[in-house]
Amino acid sequence: MSEVIELTMPVDPDLLMVVRFTAAAIAARAEFDLEEVEDLRLAVDELCVSLIRNRDGGRLALCFTRDDDQVDVTCRFVPNASDPPKREALDELSLSLSLQIIDALVDEHGLGGPDDPETSWLRKRRAHATA
Amino acid sequence: MAEQDFEVREHSHAELEVISVVGEIDLATAPQLRTVLDRVLDAGAVSLIVDLSGTTFIDSTALGVLIGAWKRTQNEGRSMSVVASDPRILRVFEITGLTDLFPLHGTLDEAMAS
Repeated sequence: MSEVIELTMPVDPDLLMVVRFTAAAIAARAEFDLEEVEDLRLAVDELCVSLIRNRDGGRLALCFTRDDDQVDVTCRFVPNASDPPKREALDELSLSLSLQIIDALVDEHGLGGPDDPETSWLRKRRAHATA
Repeated sequence: MAEQDFEVREHSHAELEVISVVGEIDLATAPQLRTVLDRVLDAGAVSLIVDLSGTTFIDSTALGVLIGAWKRTQNEGRSMSVVASDPRILRVFEITGLTDLFPLHGTLDEAMAS
C-alpha cells in the first residue's frame, strides 16, 4: 500500500537539512539498506538544489510516495504569486554535477523538462525488493 | 539550521594552509567555505589542504566550491589536495570523477607528507 508524505517549505537553503532528514526517514521506512538511505538522502538534496540554486523567494513542494519496494519523489518550485522571483544565470558546472550524482544514485529521474521546468522527480527502488 | 553544526577551521604551517571543515557542506554552508578558501588564497597560501575528515555530507555545491579553488591554485602555480576517508564523502568524488582531479588522501598526515 502506498504512503504519501508531502512537505512544503519556503525556498531557504537552511531548510535542506529538513528535506534530507525526511528523505532518510522515508527510505528507512521503505526498508532500504544504509547505503540506499544515504543515496536517497543525497539524491533528494540534489533534486531540490537543482531547482532552487540561484533562486530567491518562492516555495518548494515535495511529495514522497513510498510503495512496497520503491520511493518516488517529486519536487516542484512554486514562485510567489505576488512577486515572481527571477532566477540568476544557472551555474552549468553545478547543474552538471547534480545530474551526475542523481543519475548514479537512483533508478529513474527527470529534471525540469521543457513542459514543466519547475518540477523534477526521481524514483529509487530497493535493491533486494521482495517479490 | 545547518549552520549550527558547521565550522571551517584554519591552521597555518609556514606557506601551507589547512582548512578543516566540520559538519555538512550544502547549499546553505558552501558559501562560508568559499569565503575562507578565497581569503587564504588571497593571502598568498602556496599550498592548500582541504581536510574533510570531519565532514559528514557534501553535495554538488560543495564540489563546485572545491573545483573553483582547485582551478585557481592550478592557474596560479599553487597546489591543493583534499583529505577524505568517509565512504559517503568519497563516493561523491567517485561518482563525479573528481578522484582523478584532486589529489585525495586518507589522512591529514598523509597529505602533509606528500
